[in-house]
Amino acid sequence: MLRQIKPKNARSARALKAREPLTTENPKTTLLLRGTSCSSLVTTLLTDLNALKRPHSVRFTKKNDIHPFADASSLEFFSQKNDASLLLFGNHSKKRPHCLTWVRCFGGHVLDMLETYADPEASRAMAQFKGGKGVPVGCKPLLAFSGAQWESPSPNQYTLAKSLFTDFFRGEEVKEVDVEGLQLLIHFSVGEEKGGEEGKQMVHLRCYRIITRRSGQRCPRVEVEEVGPRVDMRVGRTREADQGMWKEALKRAKGGEQRVKKNVDMDSMGDKVGRIHLGRQDLSELQTRKMKGLKRGRGGDEKLEVNGEELEEEDIVDLSDGEEEAEAKRLRIA
Amino acid sequence: MDMEIDESPAPKANLPAAITALESATSKPERPSIEISKPIPYTFDLGNLLCSDNNPLPPSPPESLIASTARDTAQALINQLLTTCPITSSPSTGVLMKLPPCTTSLPREKPLPAPKAETTWEKFAKKKGIKDKGKGEGGKMVYDEAKGDWVPKWGYKGRNKEGEGEWIVEVDEKAEKGLENGKEIRGEGRRARVEKVRRNERKQRANERRGRKGEGAVGG
Repeated sequence: MLRQIKPKNARSARALKAREPLTTENPKTTLLLRGTSCSSLVTTLLTDLNALKRPHSVRFTKKNDIHPFADASSLEFFSQKNDASLLLFGNHSKKRPHCLTWVRCFGGHVLDMLETYADPEASRAMAQFKGGKGVPVGCKPLLAFSGAQWESPSPNQYTLAKSLFTDFFRGEEVKEVDVEGLQLLIHFSVGEEKGGEEGKQMVHLRCYRIITRRSGQRCPRVEVEEVGPRVDMRVGRTREADQGMWKEALKRAKGGEQRVKKNVDMDSMGDKVGRIHLGRQDLSELQTRKMKGLKRGRGGDEKLEVNGEELEEEDIVDLSDGEEEAEAKRLRIA
Repeated sequence: MDMEIDESPAPKANLPAAITALESATSKPERPSIEISKPIPYTFDLGNLLCSDNNPLPPSPPESLIASTARDTAQALINQLLTTCPITSSPSTGVLMKLPPCTTSLPREKPLPAPKAETTWEKFAKKKGIKDKGKGEGGKMVYDEAKGDWVPKWGYKGRNKEGEGEWIVEVDEKAEKGLENGKEIRGEGRRARVEKVRRNERKQRANERRGRKGEGAVGG
């Protein structure tokens, strides 16, 4: 646990302020670190995953004597110290070979954890692929999950993995994205389970560069080229989130979403068009066809009753129009 | 945004059939195909650029099958993005695509910030039931029926200055009799207003003086 610091100067006060909780949060930082014994496969995987996660990642290279499922307090300390809420811990032992532990924190405490054991036969580092250098750093990747097991009505290790992988790899939460930057696809797939072997299926992590070709239609033809890293991993131990903590973590600030403006939209020319309600039309005041016999006379004698009525009516119409305008103006300002 | 990509009726998930369909999709046709049809349509979360494909894969799928499935999801995702998201292009920023908000619920990094503490004034105003007047009828602006517009009660073009700049003023005999020698009815409105301001300032000063005295009394 970090001790509570009272800032003594402006610089430390700023540093503390930068770590305060926010209504709309920064992208999560990932901390990658290794245990006391770590195979070369796990080390290269950590390096490659760090390359995928840059610039929102911190990589530690020293050995740490940590057993996440036994005691996660050191991980929590690192999480608080580095303001990193996602951790990836690599370790290797005879019992848990080539083990990667995916940890997610909330408010400086471990929320949930997932352990995966990489398969050394099938896994490949980024350096073993030709096109590895082609993907720019920090571009928002496209994510895809294939396989029937990612969705389940009851939470299991695969739904946890899907949630964790989405959180780890989705990158920055943005409103707009550069179309040129859609170059990387991170694909997770899991096969159907064989009878009697539940939860034993490998999760296949693949990274592809997206190549678009003209198709003569509106959307381009998409081809993929594998750029690595390639990881096949078996899911191991899990730690599900505490219910109360999970509920707290899912809370969103009120009033964040914009209210839909009714009756205002854009037409095809890009002009703003509004629709207003004018009230029911009074058809009794409708101007019908004018007739010669009802025309207003010049002389005072010939003034007809009808003329008088017509005049009055016009006055009334004018007045009401003026009032409506005034009312509309008042509404606009208020 | 969960949207179905094809409207074809989803047949029963049949593994071998799905695989053959995939293989036929990967073999290059003359005109590059951009359509993807799957027994179970994909679902999307475009805010996270995420595509979920719930079609079952065989146990331990071969590398070629994984690659073709990945290509299909990428194609579907890009089709969906290009057809549903508004695209703007400008020479300075390039081609940008607007994304809808994320639909997958992921946990926050830290708890929501605690609400700010009330200031002394806010506490007092709440206790007294004093509310912010805002710009409407209770605030600075007032609706002028004659003009048909909102006008300020005071200040520039304020309502309290009405009739001050008039070049012709009606003479009220009774009011003129009450005036001192050498003064005209013309500037009377302005004079009265300025006098009112001064009186208010005098009262303000008296209030402050009393406040200071009261403080001193409490302190000493």
